[in-house]
Amino acid sequence: MEERPENLEGQPQRPYPIADLRELEEQTQVGEIFLAALLRRQLSLSLRVALTLLAMLGLQPLLAWLIPAYASTTVLSIPLPWLVLGLGSYPALIALGAYYVRNAERVDDEFSDLMHR
Amino acid sequence: MTSPAAIAGLLAMLIATVTVGIFARRFARTTSDFLVAARAVRPAANAAAISGEYLSAASFLGIAGLVMKYGFDVLWYPVDYAAGYLVLLIFIAGPLRRFGAYTIPDFAEGRFASPRLRRLAVGLVIVIGLFYTLPQMKAAGITVASAVGIPYGAGVLLMAGVVITIVMAGGMRGVTIVQAMQFTVKLFAITAPSFVLLIHFGSPTGIFARLHANPIPRLSQPLVAKVSPGDEWQVVQPLHVRLDHPSRVRLASLGPDSASAEAGTPAQPTGGGREVTLAPSATLPPGQVQWQQPTRVEIPAGSAVPYGVGTPPSSNAAWLHPFGPLAGASGQPLLFTYSLIVAILCGTLGLPHILVRFYTNPDARQARRTALFVLLLVGFFYLWPPLYGALGRLYMPGLYTTGLTDAVVLLLPRQIGPSWIGDTLAGITSAGAFAAFAATLSGLLISLAGALGHDIYGRWLRPEAGGAERNLAFRIGALTAGVAAAFLGLMVERFDINVLVGWAFAIAASSFFPMLVLGIWWRGLTTAGAALGTASGGVAATLAIATTMVATASPTLAGFLDRHPALAVILAQPTIVTLPLAIAVMVGVSLAWPRPPAGVASTMLQMHLPERLGLRREYIREP
Repeated sequence: MEERPENLEGQPQRPYPIADLRELEEQTQVGEIFLAALLRRQLSLSLRVALTLLAMLGLQPLLAWLIPAYASTTVLSIPLPWLVLGLGSYPALIALGAYYVRNAERVDDEFSDLMHR
Repeated sequence: MTSPAAIAGLLAMLIATVTVGIFARRFARTTSDFLVAARAVRPAANAAAISGEYLSAASFLGIAGLVMKYGFDVLWYPVDYAAGYLVLLIFIAGPLRRFGAYTIPDFAEGRFASPRLRRLAVGLVIVIGLFYTLPQMKAAGITVASAVGIPYGAGVLLMAGVVITIVMAGGMRGVTIVQAMQFTVKLFAITAPSFVLLIHFGSPTGIFARLHANPIPRLSQPLVAKVSPGDEWQVVQPLHVRLDHPSRVRLASLGPDSASAEAGTPAQPTGGGREVTLAPSATLPPGQVQWQQPTRVEIPAGSAVPYGVGTPPSSNAAWLHPFGPLAGASGQPLLFTYSLIVAILCGTLGLPHILVRFYTNPDARQARRTALFVLLLVGFFYLWPPLYGALGRLYMPGLYTTGLTDAVVLLLPRQIGPSWIGDTLAGITSAGAFAAFAATLSGLLISLAGALGHDIYGRWLRPEAGGAERNLAFRIGALTAGVAAAFLGLMVERFDINVLVGWAFAIAASSFFPMLVLGIWWRGLTTAGAALGTASGGVAATLAIATTMVATASPTLAGFLDRHPALAVILAQPTIVTLPLAIAVMVGVSLAWPRPPAGVASTMLQMHLPERLGLRREYIREP
């Protein structure tokens, strides 16, 4: 998991003072359209993950509040809410994080490819 | 109370920390070495160091102690500590690394082109940093006190001295190595004894079955307690005790309004308080017992445990259920739970010592991967502390009497026989506790020293200062912050570690969280909006918490809050109100006066453009 991407060996790779990029930075009109598109995609990804997280955590108190049976169910003597919150949360968090990292990298890469074309 | 194995554990960690710290000093040359380890820290070491810094005493000692005291509701703390890291990953890890600034104040100034906003951020870093050092100091005090048998205050001062020395000697390069090592120690120190505890006490199924089988916590072995005048017990069932001499006590029944009884109001008629002299063999009636003389009290095994001040008695059924003695007692269980969740989720990324670590990644991709790796490491760690809490309730309920629940991780292993095994395990958890507070404390001291030395001295007092002078200023900043934190730490012995931590999170969540997230994702956020929003959220949260602290000393205010539980919950756990307030102010002001700060377009580009495109500037350049 810790291998470095091949193009990032210590030194920043040769900087690209390419026309597209200068355009992006200087001609705010065009730059902003590109940037807005990138921002929108990244932000909607982040918000999607954030909402999933909120639902995952936020529904639990409501569940325990509205459905007493949820709170009093036990599995092998261990109350179900303990298992769900104290044990189940961590794999779910890591899965959400992995989903985010993979997709955020994909969005970045697609944008870079677009700019280089 | 002295434990040779625990002392050995502490000394081993101390020697390892100092040795590695001193060795690393050779590499600490320039300011940038000190602050971000020259950005060359490897991701694996970096993720371990971040986890090492993040897993503070609140995680290592505090969660177990609070679970022991309050049960299920406390699980929200570790889960949200981990989930807060996910929030950090999805909202700020990548863009903030690309921005390339060292600290939150750097971000505030760079994004909003405003030295004044920077000053506000520096002030908040100092407030949050100090709040967060308090629980670490408490942990230091109880760890050393339980190992060596010296007073709490001496333990605080001793450990503060050690950590200040390390930070002054090694800076962050030293600390990166030290903290990666300390993470390993912490993980080992929480898991290895857990396995032995499970072998000794049986599987979680058996542990929970025993909790279900007993209606209330009972002493599994005789308890000897030394009480001082003024100590109060709450007795839930008639309690037979043996005293070393006849002793005067004041007895009161537990009225429905136990708050006024706790405040010590001498109003006799309501509580029915009366002073009696107990014979050496006596039975205490259910109710409140206030000891008037120093006495050695023996309670036989099997008795229902008496509770000290600050530990609400609770049945095992309530302890096992959601909305138990923590959230349930607030009168507004749902509001309490949700506000706690929001505070920790959003507060994590506003903690000053956590962010600084992200600049040690080479690029945004590595920053994200590092954050994911951190999530994995801390998630695995957080599985274990609740086990200590549950076992503590079964096998060390005497801690409810003495109020030392925060020490359950340190003391529980000594229950395992033969005693050399128990002592060795206690030595291991003591070493882990040392790693926990030393790692977080040094991270905090670096942030505070950076704010004091780098900002206040290097920018405002003497902007012309050279490298050597700045390094000196950084060291003096570390010393100043450390001494201030140590003295504040002397005063918090009676507060729960995680309650103190919760306050730091609440302030961070209400100020830095909205500034960072809106600042990164919404180019429309103006300087005025950011400044007013950050200030109003931070000030409102601080005032709310200060009111809660005052209420612990003021019966009038406490009585008022008892009658208004929703208000009390919001003041004690203000994020659910103060975070929306800060966001509303930021958005409102920015829309009303849409004056974008200079260079915001290129700032946004820099934060969001992938590095492959080659637009890369460091906010702070090497001299």
